[in-house]
Order: sequence, then structure tokens, then C-alpha cells
Amino acid sequence: MSQLSLKHLEKSFNEARIIKGIDLEVSHGEFVVFVGPSGCGKSTLLRMIAGLEDVTEGEIAIGGKVVNDLPPVQRGIAMVFQSYALYPHMTVYENIAFPLRVEKLPNAEVEKRVMAAAKVLQLEPRLQHRPGMLSGGQRQRVAIGRAIVRQPEIFLFDEPLSNLDAALRSEMRIELMELHKRLGSTMIYVTHDQVEAMTMADKIVVLDAGTISQIGSPLQLYHKPDNLFVAGFIGSPKMNFIAGTVSSADGTTIAVDMGKLGTITLPRSAKVGAGQAVTVGIRPEHLQLGEGDFTLSITPRIVEHLGIHTVIYSTLPGGENFIGLFEGDPKVSDEAPVTLGFARDQVHLFDGAGQAVY
Amino acid sequence: MSDVARTTEVASVDSPALVKPKRRARSTKAMIDRYKWYEVAALYLGIALFLFFVLAPFIEGFLVSLKPLAQLFSRPYSFIPKNGSFDAYVDMWTSVPMLGMYIFNSFFISTVVTLIVITIVVPAAYAFARFNFAGAGVLLGLFLAVNMFSGAVLLIPLFRLMRGLGLLNTYWAMIVPGAAFLIPSSIWLLRTYMMRIPKELDEAAWADGASRLYTLRRVILPLAMPGVVVVAIMTFIGAYAQQFIFALTFNSKTEFMPLPVGLFAFFGKQEVLWNELMAASFIGILPVMIVIVFLQRYLVAGLTAGAVKH
Repeated sequence: MSQLSLKHLEKSFNEARIIKGIDLEVSHGEFVVFVGPSGCGKSTLLRMIAGLEDVTEGEIAIGGKVVNDLPPVQRGIAMVFQSYALYPHMTVYENIAFPLRVEKLPNAEVEKRVMAAAKVLQLEPRLQHRPGMLSGGQRQRVAIGRAIVRQPEIFLFDEPLSNLDAALRSEMRIELMELHKRLGSTMIYVTHDQVEAMTMADKIVVLDAGTISQIGSPLQLYHKPDNLFVAGFIGSPKMNFIAGTVSSADGTTIAVDMGKLGTITLPRSAKVGAGQAVTVGIRPEHLQLGEGDFTLSITPRIVEHLGIHTVIYSTLPGGENFIGLFEGDPKVSDEAPVTLGFARDQVHLFDGAGQAVY
Repeated sequence: MSDVARTTEVASVDSPALVKPKRRARSTKAMIDRYKWYEVAALYLGIALFLFFVLAPFIEGFLVSLKPLAQLFSRPYSFIPKNGSFDAYVDMWTSVPMLGMYIFNSFFISTVVTLIVITIVVPAAYAFARFNFAGAGVLLGLFLAVNMFSGAVLLIPLFRLMRGLGLLNTYWAMIVPGAAFLIPSSIWLLRTYMMRIPKELDEAAWADGASRLYTLRRVILPLAMPGVVVVAIMTFIGAYAQQFIFALTFNSKTEFMPLPVGLFAFFGKQEVLWNELMAASFIGILPVMIVIVFLQRYLVAGLTAGAVKH
């Protein structure tokens, strides 16, 4: 049985529909990441699960019990806010102890639990300090500590790392994953950063304008995106898209005419009528220098040398941006034409409505 | 914290100055806070001018309180008292035996008004700052409208109201209207202050199971303390200033009179004891000064720093 289940969940603010019917099952111990561009409703969805926003329509069930009308504390959740939301006038100790003080637990129990949380989060030397004296990462840990002491069934994280600098962010990412392993509880995590989603999630929920675009494991989303939105959102740098039209389809292969680039024949069994507009997708990292199943020649505008990778940016004859990513430090320079190739089975194909064609 | 950051920053900015041994002392101030000597002089001159303008009546009042009565009407008038003394500060207690009572009444009325206002305004301001309820905007507008009437305009209806409630000639006759006129503006003031406290703090407390009242008591109130203190000071001063008109209209009992009315006792049939009047005024505002000095210790700014990252 799933621990959290959302059924046809909807949310409207006045006339504006923010969440347009979400169905989702989360099982115990899963690390689920809601990811999407800003304004896609991911934070609203999380706040609905937390009980900070009303449900307009549909049903939220935790542990088999409908919790639509229960306050957060009775849902067995704990939330970590993007802004940390620490109480500046209380010490770290009292901040972490706050939920226990609300519960009116005896002092000894409070101390036991706060010390345990502080140990896990390495906050022991900081317990008597005020939040204002802590660094960003430490504040974040205090916020997590406040969530841990309640021993909730489900942790909710609302973009917890977006206020940290890049180095600290990847550090905290590892800490959070270790925490998840240690506690084994369900975690739901909201982010707009697809790297965070890819690295942390057991299951990614890609949201787009209030609907679920695709649910799957990080590698599923990477290798088999259901639609153009997911294909473009997951992966960095972004997948290259080339507009084309179907010139023929015989049930085993589809030939796509890509204008000046030529025609590519892809192994697809779907029945697509000739003349239909389609989009061909190829990830920058699946390009290779030299010839492949399909070969094209481009002139890089910009070349980035990162040591481990080299990235080239160019424009296709059709006007689309085209990015290539190569291992190591190959000999490419800007304004000098290069020949690129890619394998046929690395290519993604999307129909006119943006849905993947297999 | 920012101070620490500033000094270290300044130190690095100043380090080239070490090469020039001529410079006497390295300024520890940031560039933006450094002034030439004549700029500093001009600043202080400006402050002195302004202070003189504001304080001139007090200075003259104080000088008058030091002079013997006869000297007040001497011509040519001398501002500096000759053989001045503090006699007036001693004599006033015998000229007007009830003076102590008047000062106490003033202090007592203002204190009670302040306590009532704070008790009502804190939860009200929290409600206006955080809850969405029908008519909130209209109510706030009405509060503002109330402020457009001074107590004086409403004296007659208030008198009837006080008589109807049987409050005439009691402390309440001065306390109730005093509090009523001060509450609306205080709600505005504190509501604005509370709106600056991040809403996430309420949400975090709510998610952790705290009730709204618990959140108000444990989270919002401590953070709104500087705002509450400002409201308390404003209310206390306001109550002190406005009690004259209410006391004059709604109270005829000498033992309940506050200082502003009590000062009339220095107006004798033959002469006015100006020097003692001034001395009594100064002693009368002393409680206000003490209260403000006491309260301003709680005006700690920047308490919300570190609550949320912006």
C-alpha cells in the first residue's frame, strides 16, 4: 500500500487553476522529487500535501487515511521551508525543540531528542547560538533538525538548497541523501534544479503548468522522455531539437526530412502519416566528432573548455540552437567547421503534439 | 555581525595607508561614513540649531523655575537668573498640597491607558496582519477616519455617553476615552510592523502544531517587541497629552485630577506662581522621561535578522 496518494488533486486561486488534476502514489521510504520550471505549481502541490493550502478538489491520503481537512501536525508530516523559517529570537536548541515544546513533552525527552538530532546534523557546538550567527548551511541544518525531532512519516522539502551557494549546495545534497538513507523515511522534495532531481530522487515527478508531465526514475526520464517538455527539461545542456517532416513511414522505420540537414531514417514502428511535422531530439552528449549513423557539419559560435568536457554552441541552418558536448579536450575551435555524427538509437522523436514516438 | 564584516573590509581597504606613515590614525569607519572636520562641524551646528529650536521653551521654562517670582517681571527682562535657586521646587509642594496626587494621577491614568491599549492592540494587529476576513479593509479605513476627529469634536456626545455609563467623575472617565482614541492608530502602526515579520514563521509554527495564539505568544510577539515598545511609548505620551481635555470635561473631583488640570492650582486669585508652575511642570514630565528611558532599552532593531534569507 502506498503511503501517500493523491487523487485528482486540484487547486484554484479565485479563477486561476494552479493544479489541474494530479494523481500520484508514493510508497514508504521513497525519495520523490517534484521538479519543474517556476510557476508550474510544484510548491503549491507540496503546500497542499503539508496542509498549508486548501484542496479545491480531489483527495490527499496519508497511510490510507484522507487528510484533506486535517492540520499539518495531524498528517504526520514535517516541512522544511526554502527560507529556513527559523525563529531568530530563539537559540538553535530552542528552534529544534520548538515542535516538542508545542507538544508539551517533558524536558528530559526534549533534551534527548534535540541532542540526537543535533548529533546527526553536527550542530552540537552551535546549540546555544542564535540563527543569525550561523552560516547558510548551518541554518539549513537547524531547519532540518526541527523537522527530524518530530519523527514524521513524511518529510517535505520546499527548495531547501536554493539559497545556498553552489559548493555548499552539492555538499548539502550529499548530506540529505545520507540522512534519507539513515532515517529511511519518505521524503518529498521540490526543486527547479534538474541536477538536484536527477542526483537525489528515487522517483521524479516532472510538473508542467499544473499537470504531471511524466513520472519515473531519473534514468527513465533521461532515456525515455514521454514528451518534448521532459526531454528539454531533463539533462544539461539541453537536448537539441531539430524540426522536420515525416517523408515516409512503413511500420518499422520512419524517415524524417530535416530540410538542409538531409533525411534521417529512424527505427520506429508507430504509424505516422507522411507530411506530419515532427521534432527530432538528440542530446549534446550523444554527439561524437567524426562520422556516425547520421553526420552533419556545423560551425561552432562559442567553444567552452571545461577540462573534463568541451561544449560547443552553434546554430543550425533552420535557426535552431545546436549544442555539442564532448569528453576531454578535443581539437575544436570557434568559427572552424567540424563534422559531427550520432548513433541512430540515441535519437528521440516527437510528434506534432510533442509526444514521444516509438 | 555586519559590524565585524565592515571592520575587516575596511582593514583591507585601508592597508595601502600603512605605506604612508604621515597619516596619524587609521579611520576604522567605512569610506561612506568619513567626513572632513568642517563637515563634522557643520553637522553638529545643524543639530545644535535644531535642538535649540525644539528645546527653547524648555530652556526658558527651566530658567523661569530658577528665578524668584519678582525677577520675572523685571525690566529689562534678563533670561539668565540672578541669584537663582531651586526654592520653587521646594515651595511648590506647600503652595499646592495636592501636587503629588496630580502627578500620580497623570502617571496612573497614562499607565492604565497604555496597558489597555497594548492588551487590545497586540492581538488586533496580529489579526489584521495575518488573517483574511471580510471587512478587514473597511475596518482599517474606519480606524483611520476615527483619527480625523480629535477628542474635542466629540466632547458633547462623549459626555452623554459617560453620563449614561455612570463613569463621570471617576478615573474611568479619563481612561476609557483616552484608550479609545489611541487604539486605532496603534493598530495601524503595529499591523505594519507585524506584516514585516516573514509569514513563513507562522507557517512553520503551524506545521509544527502550534496554535495561532501560541504562535503569537512565542514567535510573533518577541519579534514584534520593538514595534510594541514604540506603540507603548506613543500611547503613553498620547495619553499624557490628551488627558487635559477629558479631565476638564468629565471629571470635577479634585482628587482624580491629572497634572495638566492640577497646574491650574498655581493660578491664584492675586498672582500666578509662574516659577513654581514651571517647576511643577518639569517634575510632572519626569515620569514620562523615566518611562521612555526604561522602554527604549527594548527598542532593539534588527532582531529579525537571520529569520529568513531574502
